[in-house]
Amino acid sequence: MEALRVDNVVKSFGGLMAVKGVSFSVERNQILGLLGPNGSGKSTIMKTIVGIVKPDGGSITVQGVNVAADPIGVKRIVGFVPESPRLYEFLSGIEYLDFVASIHGLSPDTRRERITEFLKALDLEGRENELIHGYSQGMKQKLAIIAGLLHRPQILILDEPLNALDPRSARIVKDLIHRLRDDGVPTVFSTHVLEIADAICDRIVIMYDGRVLAEGSVGELRSKAGTAGSSLEEVFLKLTGTSDTREIVEALTR
Amino acid sequence: MNLRAVYSLAVVLTRSQVRGTQRNKFLARVFGEPRIILPVDIALLFGLGGVGYALLSTSGGGGLLDLLRPIEPELLAGIPSAIMFMAILFGVLYEISQPIQSMNTDLVNWLPITPMEYVAGSTISESYIYSFVLCLFLGVVLGPALALGMASVWIAAAFMAVVALFAGAAVVEILDATTNRISSSFYKKSGRSGIVFRLVATVILLVFIQLLFSGYVVGYLLQGVMQAAISVWFIPVVWPTLAVLGAAQANLSSFVLFSSFSVAFAVALFGLAARFRARFWVPVPVSIKLSTRAYQPRQNHVPLIGAVESAMIQKDFRSLIRRREMARFLAIPFVLAISVGISLLPLGTQQTAEAPSFVFIAFLFLMPVAIFVGALSMTSIGQEGYAVWNLYAAPITPSQLLRAKLLFAAILGVPFAIVLLSIFALLLNTVGTYYAILLPVSVLVVLEVSALGVYFAALFPDFREMVRSRYVSVWGSLLGIGTALGVSLLTVAPMALSISLYGSITPQLAIISFGIALAVFIAALKIAHRQIQRMFQNIQT
Repeated sequence: MEALRVDNVVKSFGGLMAVKGVSFSVERNQILGLLGPNGSGKSTIMKTIVGIVKPDGGSITVQGVNVAADPIGVKRIVGFVPESPRLYEFLSGIEYLDFVASIHGLSPDTRRERITEFLKALDLEGRENELIHGYSQGMKQKLAIIAGLLHRPQILILDEPLNALDPRSARIVKDLIHRLRDDGVPTVFSTHVLEIADAICDRIVIMYDGRVLAEGSVGELRSKAGTAGSSLEEVFLKLTGTSDTREIVEALTR
Repeated sequence: MNLRAVYSLAVVLTRSQVRGTQRNKFLARVFGEPRIILPVDIALLFGLGGVGYALLSTSGGGGLLDLLRPIEPELLAGIPSAIMFMAILFGVLYEISQPIQSMNTDLVNWLPITPMEYVAGSTISESYIYSFVLCLFLGVVLGPALALGMASVWIAAAFMAVVALFAGAAVVEILDATTNRISSSFYKKSGRSGIVFRLVATVILLVFIQLLFSGYVVGYLLQGVMQAAISVWFIPVVWPTLAVLGAAQANLSSFVLFSSFSVAFAVALFGLAARFRARFWVPVPVSIKLSTRAYQPRQNHVPLIGAVESAMIQKDFRSLIRRREMARFLAIPFVLAISVGISLLPLGTQQTAEAPSFVFIAFLFLMPVAIFVGALSMTSIGQEGYAVWNLYAAPITPSQLLRAKLLFAAILGVPFAIVLLSIFALLLNTVGTYYAILLPVSVLVVLEVSALGVYFAALFPDFREMVRSRYVSVWGSLLGIGTALGVSLLTVAPMALSISLYGSITPQLAIISFGIALAVFIAALKIAHRQIQRMFQNIQT
């Protein structure tokens, strides 16, 4: 059953065409990895799914709700973690989470239960009363992930979610994504770490220059690239036409 | 000391400060290039000097020249002190208006630069940035100095002013390094009370600075500066002024003595700044623990409004009292109340039978209320900064955002109006009914201005996090404050008319006032709601 449908989405910023007719869909019980070099349009497409960026053309439906028609409805069911999230640095960690939970209308009992659980799971227990300003990048990332999960979303949109996380927290987040997938909560997430995508994604969409270059499971992508038995990194470099890395390294070390 | 590193650092810091404070992209690009500052300085100095000299050399300039003759030495001698004061003042204001996010992006923490080189680069940068004020002052007095044959005194004043500017910049470095360490250690230990202490200290500083620039105080200082400088000769900050006075009196030994002392003092300050920077370098943002209590969530309900609005209002209050760049908004009511109080004082003590008119009191009272509430509401959206995505990504409706931002400004505006009205009642012996009328009028004005302010906040938001962030564009703030003042006057106009025509408020005209307020409030709510909807549809990320 389809949880997300992105249909021919177009978006430009001034003269820059960031997304050029992107289409893909995500089933329930599926983890979709968005891969692509910097500036390929991954973050823009994720923001359009959440309703933060309004597309110039095309349509997006999340769990049957059209983003353009009911953006608030979509925000209620989506858990979003942006790339390098900017949080309210003048709040303590607990105040920030309490704020997000209040916006989602969680009762005090539910708030306490979920926030305490997440803080403990992601090793933020004991630091929750400190101002976010003093947090490390990894701690801020953990806080943003917790904030995205607090309201038990029906779909997760995670832009580089494992950035700056320590190995234990990264593992917990990965396991959580798998567990949620098994419970029928799909995830769309972008990453530059191809091993991670290889390990946890059911399907992968490779974006390049605002377009979908290739789509499928890792096996399907290998056969598309004609690189059977090779790593996802080699498949990615082949498909995006950026496989001349050896020459670049040689030029840099000359 | 690596002079090349000092030069590079000074260039980078100059670019960073100019571009960080200048909102106009063209001006930021032009003046962000340090090379452009020097020709501008020279043009300012000699342009003003040339114009002044030309004016005074004409036949009509003789009278003016006679007027200037006795005060020119004092003007020249006052420049070094004024420059030092200005460098310290601007430097401190720059420090306290930096948003918290820009505080820990200090590249010098990981570059191979010694504290001495950093202080040298930073001091040169600050001196260079404010050199235009120096040239402005010196340019103004250059013409009279040439016309009066005081060129040598002017040269002495220029030299001492440069020394004073450098010394002032070094003092800012010392203050910066010291407060860094003190606040780091203090916050670590004191947590929440440390934040409150910083807030109170910042508000007091801002109020002090504002009042210092009021006409009364400046006039008093200018009158007394020379006598004061002579009587406190042992204080180093007046040495540059005494050196110039020595030159003006052709007292060479006095000039040599005090100018040498001044240079030595500036060098000593520089050395101290370098030592402090080396000792108190705090590259990592400090962790502030606000509480040790276990998390106990509460039902976020401000009476009569929803949980979402309550949460946003609570967040905005925390933003207001915890962000040091927001302290200026908290200083506004104090500055306005004190300024209005000072201007009312002579009226209250006058033994005249005629009481101030209702229109006068209404204007003097409603103006600060409109300014304060307008400033709070107009900046309420832009102050979210880059963290605004938290609102965009959350299931918040435009109506909820409007209510939250409006109530935030109104909740602070109403108590301010009541306190200000009490000050009026204390200082002015005037008809009691005036106050009874102005109290409900001020509540109406607070509501109108809050709604209009949110409209302008959504129409002209400025989310950029930079030094002295405005949170609303220049046009937005001008239009907003103008509209707020206009609406306040429009609301009170029928009542003022009633008093001037009949000596009291007639029910009909009171109803008209109330009707105007209601109409403006409803119209403002509608346009604000529509504008927030548009803002959500055309999100600036």
